[in-house]
Amino acid sequence: MSSPISAAARAADVWKVYGSGEAQVIALRGVSLEIERGKFTAIMGPSGSGKSTLMHCLAGLDSVTRGQVIIGDTVVTGLGDSGLTKLRREKVGFIFQQFNLLPTLTAEENILLPLAIAGRKPDQEWYQTVIQTVGLSDRLKHRPTELSGGQQQRVACARALAARPEVIFADEPTGNLDSRSGADILNFLRRSVTEYGQTIVMVTHDANAASYADRVVFLADGQIVDELTDPSADAVLDRIKRLDLSVQAAAE
Amino acid sequence: MLKAMLRGLFAHKLRLILSALAIVLGTAFMSAAFVSGDTISRGFTDLFSTVNENIDVQVTGKSDVPVNPAGGEGLVTALVPQSIVDKLKTVDGAQTVTPQVVSDGARVIDKNGKAIATTGAPRLGGAWVDGDPAVEIREGNPPRAADEVAITANLAKTGEFKVGDTIEVITLQPRQKFKVSGIAGYAGGRDSLGGETFVFFTLPVAQELMLGTPGMYSNVDIKAASGVSDGELKRRVETAIGTTEYKTLTGQETADAQASGIQSFLNVFKIALSVFGILGLITGAFLIFNTFSMLIAQRTRELALYRSFGASRNQVLNSVLLESILLGLVASLIGLGLGVLLGWAMTKLLASSGLPSGSVVLKPAVAIGTLLVGTLITVLAALIPALRASRVAPIEAMRDAARPDKPLRTMTIAGLITLAVGIVLLILRGTKAVDNNVITLGLGSFLIFIGAVMLAPALTRPITGAIGKLVDWAMPGRLGVRNTGRNPRRTALTAAALMIGVTLATGAAVFASSVKAGVTDLFRSDLNADLVIAADFASGPTAGFDPAIINQVKAIPGVTSATAIQSDAVRLNGKDGFASALDVEPSKTLFGLKAKSGDIRDLNAGEVILNDAFATETGLKPGDSTTLVTARGGESPLKVVGILQPNQLVGSPVVSFADAQGFRVPVAQQGYVKVADPSQVDAVRAQMKTLVADNPEVTVTDPSEQLKQSTSFLDLLLNVLNVLLGLTVLVAVLGVINTLLLSVFERTRELGLLRAVGMSRSKMGWMVATESVLISLLGALLGLIVGTGLGIALVKIFGGDFLKLTIPWGFLITALIGAVIAGLVAALLPAIRAARLNVLQAISYE
Ligand SMILES: Nc1ncnc2c1ncn2[C@@H]1O[C@H](COP(=O)(O)OP(=O)(O)O)[C@@H](O)[C@H]1O
Ligand SMILES: [Mg+2]
Repeated sequence: MSSPISAAARAADVWKVYGSGEAQVIALRGVSLEIERGKFTAIMGPSGSGKSTLMHCLAGLDSVTRGQVIIGDTVVTGLGDSGLTKLRREKVGFIFQQFNLLPTLTAEENILLPLAIAGRKPDQEWYQTVIQTVGLSDRLKHRPTELSGGQQQRVACARALAARPEVIFADEPTGNLDSRSGADILNFLRRSVTEYGQTIVMVTHDANAASYADRVVFLADGQIVDELTDPSADAVLDRIKRLDLSVQAAAE
Repeated sequence: MLKAMLRGLFAHKLRLILSALAIVLGTAFMSAAFVSGDTISRGFTDLFSTVNENIDVQVTGKSDVPVNPAGGEGLVTALVPQSIVDKLKTVDGAQTVTPQVVSDGARVIDKNGKAIATTGAPRLGGAWVDGDPAVEIREGNPPRAADEVAITANLAKTGEFKVGDTIEVITLQPRQKFKVSGIAGYAGGRDSLGGETFVFFTLPVAQELMLGTPGMYSNVDIKAASGVSDGELKRRVETAIGTTEYKTLTGQETADAQASGIQSFLNVFKIALSVFGILGLITGAFLIFNTFSMLIAQRTRELALYRSFGASRNQVLNSVLLESILLGLVASLIGLGLGVLLGWAMTKLLASSGLPSGSVVLKPAVAIGTLLVGTLITVLAALIPALRASRVAPIEAMRDAARPDKPLRTMTIAGLITLAVGIVLLILRGTKAVDNNVITLGLGSFLIFIGAVMLAPALTRPITGAIGKLVDWAMPGRLGVRNTGRNPRRTALTAAALMIGVTLATGAAVFASSVKAGVTDLFRSDLNADLVIAADFASGPTAGFDPAIINQVKAIPGVTSATAIQSDAVRLNGKDGFASALDVEPSKTLFGLKAKSGDIRDLNAGEVILNDAFATETGLKPGDSTTLVTARGGESPLKVVGILQPNQLVGSPVVSFADAQGFRVPVAQQGYVKVADPSQVDAVRAQMKTLVADNPEVTVTDPSEQLKQSTSFLDLLLNVLNVLLGLTVLVAVLGVINTLLLSVFERTRELGLLRAVGMSRSKMGWMVATESVLISLLGALLGLIVGTGLGIALVKIFGGDFLKLTIPWGFLITALIGAVIAGLVAALLPAIRAARLNVLQAISYE
């Protein structure tokens, strides 16, 4: 096993149990995973397999029942609210399926929001790079309600990138978009990894989206069951079919 | 269907409780006013019935002299002589005839040398009557010698006097020493009937000290022989002594007359307090209106869904009607219960200061009225937004539940028109074009207020934006400012609730500070005196000093001019009003008296100088003859010697001290002294103090000190007013809490996002607090502006010398600071909610 420093994020034997007794759901069953620095990792799996749960645990948005999560050199497990707040400020960025922009702020203010909250000055050069990469230069003064879905998600991407976090977590970022806007976003994420060395973890159930990643981790029933490196869309689809068959077989 | 809708209502428990709380507070206040008023008034009615229980018919002297508006109703006016008592004894059917001597103004000095005060009740002195069934000696003996007195038990308690002690009493005469021969109480174990004190003298002493005339009585109580009705006895008495000089009343009539004076005072008390209760309710109505608007806006989609299933518009309305009736009724019931409790506490509190009390009185009309008003206001406030929502077509509502704000233009234009009409009405009153105060002042002020409320949404963004510049530098501040401007209607309506109380308080403050400034100016510019002797306000209408003392003051080295002023209500030239006795020559210097016509000089008995207004009104000229009627002196002729130029300090006719001997009390209320050199003031003051050292009811001060005392009642009045208006502010704060809770709830996802990108809990709190403070400041600011405007208008309209337009900056600034604090307090609960949101749940919140 490599040292924690070389990985951007790490989960070690992570269990997540919701509820108790009759209503108990085990969402993660001993997941161990390393997110490589400067790589684009996709987490795939059927609905209900625990993808979102894994991502939330990795990002420190949710606590784990057992096991340990580390981001960069910070042990996330056991952090209090102020520790988590600091972690979110300095180490992680988020992209959500529903964009989640603040309607009272302009696109530009939304992009700079995490920096403003942290009280940090934006690095002008980087900021220009980011808005040019996402292609929003002429929309900066607009409010979210005046932007299309694709544009809003690009603002959300720029917001995640602007602070140059250790890891960006994206939960189904293209789930609410048409295929063209979705492709734009995926290209943009790909470029941030390739050109700027950003680490990105993306949850998706779309094989095509997963094919943009350097590595795909397959989750089923709360466990990592497989993985692929430098996948093509076809290879991903193939794996999913096989997994589905085995899941069905297990069910029967 | 109905069930489903009711579930919708109860899903928002906290907000429901908050709006219900507003109604509870309003109704509680209103009913408490009536309950305590009614309870006290029943107490008084019972009291007077008890007092007059043993009196079948009472005879008093008839006096035409007007009651002194400054008080002292118990002061003797016309008396009953021994001859009439003798005549009454011969009336057929009069079993016992008891002549009485009772009058206000027997002040006992306590161990610290101060006159023992009551809370407004008279300090009676009179003759001990053996065999009076209402009064009993509890300890010791009745007064038998001229230097003996019996005192009531409450007096003994307050002054810590025992039988055998020597006490000093001020009456019409200066203080005299008496020995306490006994402690008296009333039937039923009462120490006092209604907080009054009583000193019992022997008959001749009482006649001299309390009535100032030997051989006279204040009233005669008659008990009827069996078989003779009170009414019959009254008729026989009237036949015997006539009705021109003496008033004959049955016991019941006496009780009613005594109670009615109190009753009208209590009515004012009840009405004044319920006005504040109603203000609280109206503020509450804003809150309910806002809550239901928000609840219904949230549920527009749901309601539209019902309608698309075929529910009619009426069904939707009916469900809101039912909800609001339920809410209003329950809240008013709780309010009524609380009000009864409050009223009971209030009467207990007053009873401890001597007011009569009994069991709590809750009139059915009060109970029903409270429930009705509380429920009606709730229903009205809830129905308006429901009506509006039910007009939205189902498809429209379902398509777009989160409608963008409707434009504010119509509302703003309507607001401007309303405001303009209100202003025009005030101008009409100001120019005296229309004299009806209800239409001009009342309606005008109301329209201005409503107009301002309607303009508030349009003003929300500019005002909060401008104030927001102060906190814009930090992210929580900036977000808070933006959130405030997000839904201007909601923000404005919430702020409007606060506006009500602030507007009224500000208007009152502007008016009061103008009165204060006006009075101060009058004093400063027209009064040319260095020292003042004045009877203490709290010592009642009988307090004062012997006017002859002023002659000794004049003899003090350094004193250049001095005069005493003795005032009373009289009838002059057939007209009721005040008259004063003063030394005219020194008054020329002291008060700047100048002749308009005739002579302005020291007066002899039978001479009068008229003030300008009086002369103009009556047409009297120097040399004319007229008549003066005083309380004790009866009627006497007067000759007009001069007419004064208008003077701010002497605004009533001036008579001689000789004629003033007919006034109710033989004391001067004020004295003014001018000293040659300022360096001598302290020495003169010291000598004057020794002159009145044995009189605990007067103080030697200087004009500025006296001014402070005489305007202090204004401050007191304002304080009371502000405490009462605090109720409406309290309700308004509930409204702010309510609105913010809703906003936090509606913006759950955004708040979650902020947390996800690294906003700390405390900064979340500050964001909510910013919004809260901005809403409060908006309300306060609008209230201050409208209130100041109305206050200025009132001052301009009433004009007059006692008003000098003054803006109470201190008050305005305090109000703004208060608004910030209120905003912070209101933010507490919503801010905690926002800070404690679970980040993950908040983000995935639908
Ligand atoms: N807050 C929760 N409470 C209870 N069960 C939950 C909760 N969140 C997720 N689950 C359950 O955990 C499992 C994994 O959920 P999730 O991670 O959302 O799956 P995916 O994102 O892969 O669709 C599911 O069975 C889901 O029902
Ligand atoms: Mg998911």
